[in-house]
Amino acid sequence: MKKEDTVKLISAEGFEFVIDKEAAMVSQTIHNMLTSPGSFAESQHGEVTFPEISTTILEKICQYFYWHLQFASGKETEFPIEPELTLELMMAANYLHT
Amino acid sequence: MDMYIRVKRSKTTYFIKCKPSDKVLDIKEKLQELIDQPANDQRLVLPGTREVLEDSKTLAEQKVENDAVVALTFRKDDNEFEEVNIVRPNDFYQSRDGDSANW
Repeated sequence: MKKEDTVKLISAEGFEFVIDKEAAMVSQTIHNMLTSPGSFAESQHGEVTFPEISTTILEKICQYFYWHLQFASGKETEFPIEPELTLELMMAANYLHT
Repeated sequence: MDMYIRVKRSKTTYFIKCKPSDKVLDIKEKLQELIDQPANDQRLVLPGTREVLEDSKTLAEQKVENDAVVALTFRKDDNEFEEVNIVRPNDFYQSRDGDSANW
């Protein structure tokens, strides 16, 4: 695993999640940020800050990215979502096109 | 991809792809690529039991499963390892419940 192949997602509270680019690309929004030529500072530093997304939600989203990769490779498990997270998670997922 | 684990230290979480048959040393070598600490100066600890994971054993042998949280500590200047330090976000749901009590 090389550093260039990872991306750091930073939550509203400044917590950092270092994940594989492959996982982050599950989000169309992050995919666009990381692949548009030159226009996003994010693509150069490999860091994306989400001032609107809380740490708990951002971690759940990262878990979802990895679950998505596992599911795509044939593993059939449910993705657990605590009821109290649902609304905020939906808003974040909508923003991230996930 | 078989599984991943969440390696946490302070306010940072590293999602590491791995296999149940990976040895703990393999995980440290992956981490070494991401952080400026050689595998030898890293220690991985199960946060619940404070059990230190052994380099030569596999994840499966030490019951580290998919989505598990593992604490990362570094060797300090005096050759000892740091205490486990995982910062959690303030539980905003509790604070929200507190707000609703005032309504």
